Amino acid sequence: MFYRVSGQFKTSYESDMALFPIRQDAVLLGVILLAMYVVFPLFASEFTFKALLVPVMIYSLAAMGLNILTGFAGQLSLGTAGFMGVGAYACYKLTTIFPEMNVVVALLLSGCFSAMVGVAFGLPSLRIKGFYLAIATLASQFFLVWLFEKWAWLYNYNASGAIEVRTMDFFGLVVTGPTAAPVTQYYFVLVIVSLITFCMINLTRGRYGRLWKAVRDMDIAAELVGINLMRAKLSAFAVSSYVVGVAGAMLVFFWKGAAEPNLFDIPLSFQVLFIAIIGGLGSILGNFLGAILIVALPVLLNFVPGLIGVEVNSATLEHVNVMVVGALIVGFLIAEPHGLARLWALIREKLIIWPFPH
Amino acid sequence: MGLKGILKLAAATSLVCSLGVVAASAASLYVPNLTYRTGPFAATGIPIMNGQRDYVEMINARDGGVGGIELEFDECETGYNTNKGVECYEKTKGNAIVTQPWSTGITLQVLPRTNVDRIPILAPGYGFSPMSEGNTFAWAFNPPVSYWDGAYMILEYISGGDMSSLKGKEIALLHLDHPFGKEPIPLFEKMAAAHGFKFLKIPVGLKEMQNQSAQWLQIRRERPDHVIMWGWGAMNAGALTEAVKTRFPLDKMIGVWWSGSDDDLLPLGGKAKGYKSISWNAPGDYAVMKDIRKHVVDQGNSLLKSSADMDKVFYQRGVVISAILVEGIRTAQAKYGKANIGPEELRWGLENLDITAERLKEMGMDGMFAPLKTSCDNHTGHAGAWMLEWDGERFVQVSDLLKPNREVIKPLEAEKAAEYARNNAPWPGRDGLACN
Repeated sequence: MFYRVSGQFKTSYESDMALFPIRQDAVLLGVILLAMYVVFPLFASEFTFKALLVPVMIYSLAAMGLNILTGFAGQLSLGTAGFMGVGAYACYKLTTIFPEMNVVVALLLSGCFSAMVGVAFGLPSLRIKGFYLAIATLASQFFLVWLFEKWAWLYNYNASGAIEVRTMDFFGLVVTGPTAAPVTQYYFVLVIVSLITFCMINLTRGRYGRLWKAVRDMDIAAELVGINLMRAKLSAFAVSSYVVGVAGAMLVFFWKGAAEPNLFDIPLSFQVLFIAIIGGLGSILGNFLGAILIVALPVLLNFVPGLIGVEVNSATLEHVNVMVVGALIVGFLIAEPHGLARLWALIREKLIIWPFPH
Repeated sequence: MGLKGILKLAAATSLVCSLGVVAASAASLYVPNLTYRTGPFAATGIPIMNGQRDYVEMINARDGGVGGIELEFDECETGYNTNKGVECYEKTKGNAIVTQPWSTGITLQVLPRTNVDRIPILAPGYGFSPMSEGNTFAWAFNPPVSYWDGAYMILEYISGGDMSSLKGKEIALLHLDHPFGKEPIPLFEKMAAAHGFKFLKIPVGLKEMQNQSAQWLQIRRERPDHVIMWGWGAMNAGALTEAVKTRFPLDKMIGVWWSGSDDDLLPLGGKAKGYKSISWNAPGDYAVMKDIRKHVVDQGNSLLKSSADMDKVFYQRGVVISAILVEGIRTAQAKYGKANIGPEELRWGLENLDITAERLKEMGMDGMFAPLKTSCDNHTGHAGAWMLEWDGERFVQVSDLLKPNREVIKPLEAEKAAEYARNNAPWPGRDGLACN
């Protein structure tokens, strides 16, 4: 009833290939974008920006990068956090070596560094597959964190060994550092995430996306039909690491403001991998759903006892929180092993024929 | 495909938008603490946080608060995780008069924000040593001693008061490879250059905390005259176990104050006899501890598992931390003539602390920590510390009060504070805050 698609005819090739061939999808997206761009900035508190909206978007972006590699090209990677670190440290070095550089340029360039590192560590993927590749990327994870700790040039010989973000402006508007207004940072992150998401949707629908999917589904078959495996796999590593690197740079510059090397250690890799898996491998939407579940839900759960008027010790609450989120993850994966994106697709299908199921 | 799932986010966040921050009632002072009772460092965190909490509860129960106003002590759990630190800081800062971030990583993130949010940050015995330079770090306080003070006092103790006797010796620093563990290195390097001893850094990575065989192999090979330990959490127990196993003479091993937890040494018992740790609180049976027992622990209002834990060094250190905070509040109340002070007033109070020996006696803490006086260019107080030694069952005080040599440390603080301000330009500094 609400999702009735009958009567919407595709009369041209363009309409058949449109990003949102069904009107309701486009309307729903419009509503969401309106909420993100207009409603939230009007009503959200500083806490909402800093603890919910910005981290969810940044983690979604990181998971999207990983999803290109793992979900679309089928190359399992455990080195995401390391590549995020490369992006963050590259952005830090760029902005300290060239203080005049525009922060957006620095951000986009830092992705190139992580793409290069990603391609270098992606080379073994030409020979090894599956779990073995996962172990090779794990090596990159350990190596990169070690490098962030030991190579003092990377953190400008700072006594504490951490990187700190100084105040930078974007055409007069302060966007990083302590004086940046949370709403400015929110808009900044939102625009970049929207742009990259748009690019990724189109990229995965297009020639490269099809190359990657062919390689994922059966690489020998793909090679037999004439796909250059090296190009397909390395391009997946490059695009994936680029997006992941930008996400890492934004994590430090637009959210945390300072970072120690061990931030980019393996727990972050796993967190991003969980977001991608629970959201749905091979989906763009899934990254956002996964990030909401993994990043935002624990924050929201902390408010539940206060809302229902129960006083709970903060540490106990944290324990309960971990258990609830863990149970939900297991629950969702049992209900739908293909992730939240698939769950939404099923709901949508049901809605289309509701209220008259077959 | 659509991005409709974000709708869920919309629903969820609209809930929080309306929530905002935790509301505190008007007739109390809101003092949050970013605790870590969970996670990898919980074992060392819990006793300190219990001590902090119980002192405030005792003040509320015994005196009805400070200056007639109750303190609302609230904990926000971070698990030592920096992401959670952002969340907790944002959640609690609204009505808070102080922020106590704990982990060095969280302190690093929060420090620049406190200038903008105008809220004092209290980091007793941790954080950066240059924080002492109050003209740069107007909102940050790390009484009663900084890490550089600690490093100096340890060297002073080793040398028996005569630094020149260290010439030709070899001193190893077994440290956590993390901002916290790297903190004393500049001072040790400066002292090594000045007094001609060999300084050897032995880093322990976060992943190697429980398996330090490589580090101890190096120690066995190098045979340093002394090993100074800058460890935290699981690293302390790991190092002590290895030291006992490799038969390193434990009386040659000295830890910073965070490496002196009873719980790390109890499993080793008599085998760890002779191990020393510097501490800015001397454990003992003080009048204040009796009050806490009477008003909090016996009332069942404490989170302590057993009341025997009250004698432990870390629990009593938590008590000292809250006592410093309460004194700051008291000082601010006296100056501004009102009970319900705000963060800016508390900042003044912490900057003008004057805890004399007489005041310590009144507080029932005579000898528990050293008299302390802060000022505009001294946000630490540099009170001094004592050397404690493990006698097989507990820590006992084995030295008189050790004092840091400010003439050596102060120039280094000024240099590093200026460097921090330069790296974080434009840094507001005092930002017009009056100094009086």
